[in-house]
Amino acid sequence: MTTAEPGTQAPEGSFSVVTRASQRRERILFIAAGVALLILVLVPLTSLDAAQSAGLPLLADRYWFRIATTILMFVIVAGAWNIIGGLTGYPAFGNVVFFGVGAYTVGTLVTKANLPYALALPAGVLVAAAGAALIGLPLLRLRGHYFAVASLGVAVATGEVINNLQFFGGASGIFMPIIRSDLLFYFLMLGGAVGTVAITWAVLHSRFGFGLIAIREDEAAAAVIGVNTTLYKVAAYMLSAALTGFAGAVYAEWNVFIDQSTAFNLDISIDSILMALIGGIGTLFGPLIGAAVLEYLIQSFAGGGSLAAYTQVGLGVLLTVAVIFLPRGIVDFFGGRSSFSLRYLRRTMRETGV
Amino acid sequence: MTASASPLLSLQGVTKRFGGVTAFADVTFDVDAGDVLGVIGPNGAGKTTLLNCISGVYRLDGGDITFNGQRLSGRPPHEVARLGVGRTFQVVKPFTSMTVRENAAVGALFGSSEARMPTGRAFAYADEVLELVGLAPKRMSPVGSLTVPDRKRLEVARALCTKPRLLLLDEVMAGLNAVEVDEALEMVRRVQKSGVTIMLIEHVMRVIVGVCTRALVLHLGRVLAMGEPQEVLRDQRVIEAYLGQEYARRQARHRRE
Repeated sequence: MTTAEPGTQAPEGSFSVVTRASQRRERILFIAAGVALLILVLVPLTSLDAAQSAGLPLLADRYWFRIATTILMFVIVAGAWNIIGGLTGYPAFGNVVFFGVGAYTVGTLVTKANLPYALALPAGVLVAAAGAALIGLPLLRLRGHYFAVASLGVAVATGEVINNLQFFGGASGIFMPIIRSDLLFYFLMLGGAVGTVAITWAVLHSRFGFGLIAIREDEAAAAVIGVNTTLYKVAAYMLSAALTGFAGAVYAEWNVFIDQSTAFNLDISIDSILMALIGGIGTLFGPLIGAAVLEYLIQSFAGGGSLAAYTQVGLGVLLTVAVIFLPRGIVDFFGGRSSFSLRYLRRTMRETGV
Repeated sequence: MTASASPLLSLQGVTKRFGGVTAFADVTFDVDAGDVLGVIGPNGAGKTTLLNCISGVYRLDGGDITFNGQRLSGRPPHEVARLGVGRTFQVVKPFTSMTVRENAAVGALFGSSEARMPTGRAFAYADEVLELVGLAPKRMSPVGSLTVPDRKRLEVARALCTKPRLLLLDEVMAGLNAVEVDEALEMVRRVQKSGVTIMLIEHVMRVIVGVCTRALVLHLGRVLAMGEPQEVLRDQRVIEAYLGQEYARRQARHRRE
């Protein structure tokens, strides 16, 4: 066989894991994301003193910052989960362990070693990634439910250990020196969210991404065509952990206080999986859209005080409906193959049902 | 078959056990470059296990496998693929979320050290290979829409895209009708002509006689006979151990119908 010359391929030869139909949809989403990003950069600037004295309306008050920063944090965490859970097909239920490790690394380095926050933040990212390599090597030998439960176990156990070690503040947690700046934490989370989407895009368009999807589809087949499955899985886990660790490292300083129940909060793991699920698992923008929709709903329901208890019930109903009617996620519903017709519903029920 | 050059693939006393069960013991044979070796034998003779041992899916319990002067034994599957050994699975394992073309291109993105192409080239090469196996018209289709023979072709295409020097085919003709078998035979000949050495497992005797330059009979985990296909099929031990059973089964089926 002769080697093919470059340039002889058809125009549809762009390298991508996504199909052509979803490429068109992706272009629309890219434009929408660009517009949204512009708004997200400009709106908080109205809170600056200079803007206020120039007579601009205050579009971002403290409450706005609280919600927007939280949503962006979940864009990072859900997007990070998508890399190991969505692209690689390893349902990590305990990704919050990297959030906690990132948060506690920052907390320990700032309060015990008096390191400036600017240096502690990247250290939190690195320690989370290193932790993923350490637990990934044994854990990623398991598959499916076994991996899910094992990763959950590691998260719970790590939280318990830290809760019982006085070095890490024990049950009373760690108080950080306060940095008063809504803008700083907002833009750190925004940068992380943009970075997460950009990294996912780069992965999807690379040999690495194709290898991960091959592993998800059939690990044995991936191995015999030359994919170093162990290396790829661990690398994907480390990437996922680094991003999650970044979110945790920012959260620690933003929230000023961390303990087991905030930094190793299993809700973060569960919510991020649900966000990816609702938005569209394995897609570029799915986790972003899922995080924005779900976290906005959670925040607006929970804001009602006594109504907060009903939030969980409402979410449960919403999730059940979403999983039954939108099994491929919101991204697939708008402009994808999905449509709100009986025929589509019947087809997805058939394809995704037991 | 001249023995002047060293063989491409060489198995020396290869043994594989699963707990107390010995799949095969002391299997020794060579495959020369350019050969099409047909491996036949009754169900459970250890044919697929043999392929799994060569491609690194299983670890050996004894013996040695060398390929192109390098030891294969003890290497994980991706390293074996890197050295230039491609394989298909008896039960096809396509990447279902990808198109036909993307499936083949993954092979060219990874594969042997000669493959591993940049992304654009991988797709161009995938197109070339899909042409060779006769899947070019369906290259943009999702895998789910393919028929069984087409899925088997895709399995071969993906393995070929890794630019192997040796291709291991595990029953790619099983379940095909007579016309489809003819097409598949033609495909194997084209692959052989392109310079790839082939080792294939088959139950269809027409395939063994049609394309193989050598045949090997495995029976109860031992090499029963090896040589020219026609010669091997006339071997009395082979008729007793394998062909006779098959024949008797076919007769019984005729009587029932």
